[in-house]
Amino acid sequence: MPDVLLALEDVTLGYDSRPVLQHLTFTVERGEFLALLGPNGAGKTTLLRGVLGLIPVLAGRVTYGFDRQASPPGYVPQRDALDPIFPLSAHEVVLMGTYARLGPLRATGRVQKRRAAAALDQVGLASIAHEPFWSLSGGQKQRVLIGRALAAEPLLLVLDEPTAGVDPGAAAAIMDVIMRLNRDDGLTVVLVTHQLRLARPLVRSVIWVDDGGATKGPTDVMLSPERIIDVFGALAAGG
Amino acid sequence: MSTLVQILSPDFLLRDALVGSVLVGLVCPLVGVYFVLRRMIFLGVALPQLSAAGIAFSFLAYRVFVGPHEHGGLSERALGMFGSFGFTLAGIVVLSFFERAGRETVEARIGVTYAVAAALTILFLAADPHGDAQMVNLLKGDILATTSASLDVLTAVLGAVVLVLFAFRKEFLLVSFDRDLAVVFGKNAGLWDLLLYLAIGVTISLGVTTAGPLVTFGFLVVPPLTARLVTRHMLAFSLTAAALGAASAFAGFYLAFRFDLPLGPAEVAFASLVLLVVGTGRALRNAMRRVPAA
Repeated sequence: MPDVLLALEDVTLGYDSRPVLQHLTFTVERGEFLALLGPNGAGKTTLLRGVLGLIPVLAGRVTYGFDRQASPPGYVPQRDALDPIFPLSAHEVVLMGTYARLGPLRATGRVQKRRAAAALDQVGLASIAHEPFWSLSGGQKQRVLIGRALAAEPLLLVLDEPTAGVDPGAAAAIMDVIMRLNRDDGLTVVLVTHQLRLARPLVRSVIWVDDGGATKGPTDVMLSPERIIDVFGALAAGG
Repeated sequence: MSTLVQILSPDFLLRDALVGSVLVGLVCPLVGVYFVLRRMIFLGVALPQLSAAGIAFSFLAYRVFVGPHEHGGLSERALGMFGSFGFTLAGIVVLSFFERAGRETVEARIGVTYAVAAALTILFLAADPHGDAQMVNLLKGDILATTSASLDVLTAVLGAVVLVLFAFRKEFLLVSFDRDLAVVFGKNAGLWDLLLYLAIGVTISLGVTTAGPLVTFGFLVVPPLTARLVTRHMLAFSLTAAALGAASAFAGFYLAFRFDLPLGPAEVAFASLVLLVVGTGRALRNAMRRVPAA
């Protein structure tokens, strides 16, 4: 039996008791690389936030195959969600990831600083550790946020559109980092993305979010040309 | 120079007022950095006004339910402090609830709070004419009337606020910078917000009852804005803001004493002058960097 890291059983998610997604039933296995795809406004971010516990589950059950307190998920939000007014260096942002395992009144010490430096190195940005976070390019900011998620030493990495709004070269670098984390470190990855072309060769399975529900399947089935044409039109299938 | 020697003398007549001023100048910016970072600066106008309404309400309620109160004593200050803190904290909690609910714009919420607080202050004062004169003094922030007893209270409470801000700075930073991440990490974000608001409420209440709404707002906002221009790290930002606030309070006190100026406005004007100088210097430096080398 596969090692299940996350399981949703007949889950309903929404806001203010108003359901957005209903009857969600699927599992995520340890080491899986999974993409959440679907049209704009279909509820991908709602599903992501429900999985992370950021919105209440209106019905059904979400269970984790790991201790969320001991090893919380690594969460990479969209970089625009963070305010550039905070005077923080890239290292300080990554250091925040170590707060996951630090209780109140426990300051960050050498262990946490080493962990943060290693995480920054993992995403290839050790050289810009002391640069102000707000002065970095979009792609660098996104990789710093991935580093912050890694500093929490997670078993599950959840990313919300990590390649949105960055140039193709930076997007490829971000996807390369994520792919290596999954392939080399065995990290389970769930990401929301619109960039089918980048995601298709990397992800092993896809959850298609649409019409108030979600369907999971292998990448080649979920992203078959027929299905893409059906949803996005011929242009998308060509790209 | 002789004025400076006189002010620094242990026998200086207004020593308690000087120490009180510097304490308010030191601690208000430490709280104010969160106003700046959370983009709640206008809340810095509304909350001291709400605090003033709380003071007026506490005097009115005391007169209605207990009887006439004694003017000028520490008990009157404590009464004012109680009302001020209650209104400030309630205001922060209600405003943050509406912020989370995402209803109306921030400006609308803060504007309504200010208007309601200002109207309530006048109405409460009008309904309690016996305490009017003393309350006006308290609302103006009669820092020169600071006594050694009230200074002890100020030192103890603001000292506790500083301890809380530094002891839990990583939690306050996390919920301020990325609240979602705090929740994902299993932190009780609501509890940390409440503790931060409590520290803000206590500081504003003490600031308003000691130095008045103008000085409190000035020190909540101006030194952090100056510090933001010259610092690149969180700890340096907080410490620089506090140092600038304390130095501005001292310099303002010196100028007020030397040239017989009103104390509060002198302190805020000096802090604003520092902001102007630092802001202009920074703008000039940026402009010079943009000029290509010949």
